Amino acid sequence: MIKFENVGKTYPNGVQALKGVNLEIGDGEFVAIIGLSGAGKSTLLRSINKMHAITEGKLFIDDIEISSIKGKDLRMLRRSIGMIFQSFNLVKRMSVFNNVLTGRVAYHPTFKTLFGLFPKEDKILALESLETMGILEKAFSRADQLSGGQMQRVALARALAQKPKIILADEPVASLDPITTVQVMDDFARINRDFKITIIANMHHVDLALKYATRIIGIKNGEVVYDGPSTDINDEMLVQIYGRSLKHDEVLGE
Amino acid sequence: MTNLEKVLKNKPKTWIINSIFTLIVLIAVIFSFKGSSINMLRFNSIGITIRIMVTQMADLNIDFLFGRGVYSFQEGVVFLTLETLAIGFLGTLIGAILALPFSFIAAKNVVGSKFAKIGETILVIIRVFPEVVLALVIVKGFGMNALTGVLTIGIHSIGMLGKLFSEAIDNMDKGPLEALDAVGANTYQKIRYGIIPQIAADLSSVTLYRLDINVRSATVLGIVGAGGLGSSMILAAENSNWDILGTIMLAIIIMVLIVDAISSHLRAKLV
Amino acid sequence: MTKFTLKSGSSITKPFNKVWIILGVLLILIVTFSFFIRFEPSLINLSELGVILEKMFTPKGERTWGDYFGFVFTLWEPLVSTLEMSLAGTIIGSLMAVPVAILAAKNIFKSKFVYLPIRFFMNLIRTIPAMILAVVAVYFVGIGVLSGLIAITLFTFGIMSKMLYEVIETVDMSPFEALESSGATKTQAFRYAVFPQIFPVFLSYLIYIFEINVRASAVLGYVGAGGIGMVIKDNILYNYDRVGATVILLFFVILAVQFMSNYLRGKLQ
Repeated sequence: MIKFENVGKTYPNGVQALKGVNLEIGDGEFVAIIGLSGAGKSTLLRSINKMHAITEGKLFIDDIEISSIKGKDLRMLRRSIGMIFQSFNLVKRMSVFNNVLTGRVAYHPTFKTLFGLFPKEDKILALESLETMGILEKAFSRADQLSGGQMQRVALARALAQKPKIILADEPVASLDPITTVQVMDDFARINRDFKITIIANMHHVDLALKYATRIIGIKNGEVVYDGPSTDINDEMLVQIYGRSLKHDEVLGE
Repeated sequence: MTNLEKVLKNKPKTWIINSIFTLIVLIAVIFSFKGSSINMLRFNSIGITIRIMVTQMADLNIDFLFGRGVYSFQEGVVFLTLETLAIGFLGTLIGAILALPFSFIAAKNVVGSKFAKIGETILVIIRVFPEVVLALVIVKGFGMNALTGVLTIGIHSIGMLGKLFSEAIDNMDKGPLEALDAVGANTYQKIRYGIIPQIAADLSSVTLYRLDINVRSATVLGIVGAGGLGSSMILAAENSNWDILGTIMLAIIIMVLIVDAISSHLRAKLV
Repeated sequence: MTKFTLKSGSSITKPFNKVWIILGVLLILIVTFSFFIRFEPSLINLSELGVILEKMFTPKGERTWGDYFGFVFTLWEPLVSTLEMSLAGTIIGSLMAVPVAILAAKNIFKSKFVYLPIRFFMNLIRTIPAMILAVVAVYFVGIGVLSGLIAITLFTFGIMSKMLYEVIETVDMSPFEALESSGATKTQAFRYAVFPQIFPVFLSYLIYIFEINVRASAVLGYVGAGGIGMVIKDNILYNYDRVGATVILLFFVILAVQFMSNYLRGKLQ
């Protein structure tokens, strides 16, 4: 469970990316964060695995306050949180299999991982994650030989290999074409359902967010302006979150 | 003046710069003639000399080639060529391995801009030191043998490769590093899984290119006593033993062509 | 090859890791080549090395630091010779390279009988290191800057012609073909259609090669080809401090050339 208590983030130059954020996200939820670019979505998401450090307030993950953890404890926190990026962030020249295996590095001592000595269970786990994502046959291809949608699936497999409790996704489908987008969002839904993993995703396309997430968080100027079920959102609230009516590219269409 | 004439008048006067350059070059050439004492005897008989040279060169000295008869195996061209190759290869290898840590401290992505400047400066100092002078110094400590050659090329390559390596590191995609951060990897793991797989191909390509150059250097360093073909060569030139010189030059040409071909082929496969 | 079988029943084989093959080949090469390195462990004298280094960077005997750095001022003439040699050699060699590069470019002279032999000849010249060219030049022309000039010219010719023909081949050929079809000779078409496209790159290469040549020419003097190298050769036996001072000067000169080179080439972009 994730709990934000009056969380804020102010940059050294005075810019306030987040202010007065109070949230509670339970296990197994599918949450979508929406809002204008620069409103603070990314900062909010990344504060959960401490990729961005908060400057005010407290942030609890499973009752552990994370603002002071660092070093080994931080890595142990992060290994149980998966993260999916808009640009996939795979190592292009490495095989898909090895890319997925990197999800396991924090589970083993440095020495072994430096020589690629992962235990057999890890290797099987990696392959099974690939199988879950439907791309087992690509396991030993080079990552850059895959299509965009396939690469995002590899990223998902990497996250699954971590056996995470939470998966964070930063605009995961923004680089994909409409058909692949739906396929990948379906994958997220399936993972959320079958593995009971909490999914928190920044979404650029509002209609996708409404369709797949059970709960919506709307951010405007670093503050939470909406927090509720996706079914309750209507156009007025959207205007409030975005400050205007939605633009053409913020809706996937169909 | 009409408009056209005005435009013509304002055309950039590149001919001035061109003339200045030509003048500088001419002056330089004339001064270089002044500075040297052309051995008129040899100059006048250039035609005959070349003919003698070429015929003697063509008359390959088989004994010398394989190190038979008067020459010990180790003085033979085959051995010397292999020694030269070995110097180039091992020197490049040592240089490449040692260049890695240096390249990390010169890469902005790894240590940040300020420290990177220090690292870069160290590399520049190593690089600018002429190889021949380096060899002259090392020869005092390690003797007139191939070991000196290997060390000279190794150290010089650290400077050369270190810079190219650090550029490869600075140009790489930071995305995978971010992902590794998010997964909980520590610095060593980030290097092993984020940096190395990305740059390995670039580094190999650059190293192969350097190998090509270093094999040529290895032949030259022999002149100052670092082993290989160079020393025999200068001896032959000084004594006008054109057949020996010819054999050596032939060996150099063949060796360099082969290394060049292998290097280009492998580098093409790495892209 | 490892075979993995998953819970679901599907199986997949992991192909052999190429890295091991490469490492294996490298290992064999290392071991083989090591056999060819002759060295005498008895000759290793590291303390001697330290002594030399110390001698290089401190004034010898009764000379003072003033003498040490004062020596640098006597290097003015050799330095100028070195720079002249490099500049003139680079320019002349590059100009010589232009017609040859044109002949070697597949897109200008399409016949294999033209570009293949030219390229072969080019490769031949390229394999000979500058120092060796200098040795031969010194034999013919005697000791002095002229031999260095000849060596650098030939060396530049070798590298520039290859770099140039590779550039020519990447050029946009449409204006060239247009000119040829309107009756221009190959030379004219080249001058007006291809040359303007490659000129900035040509200049950039010129500066790059100049930088290389300054380095090379500084030591060519060691075999008698003039310039600073000769100062080093004259002093290497007994006056290490002078060698050290020369090296320091050389360091700054090459550094300056490098800065200028990077700056100019940056502006050419």
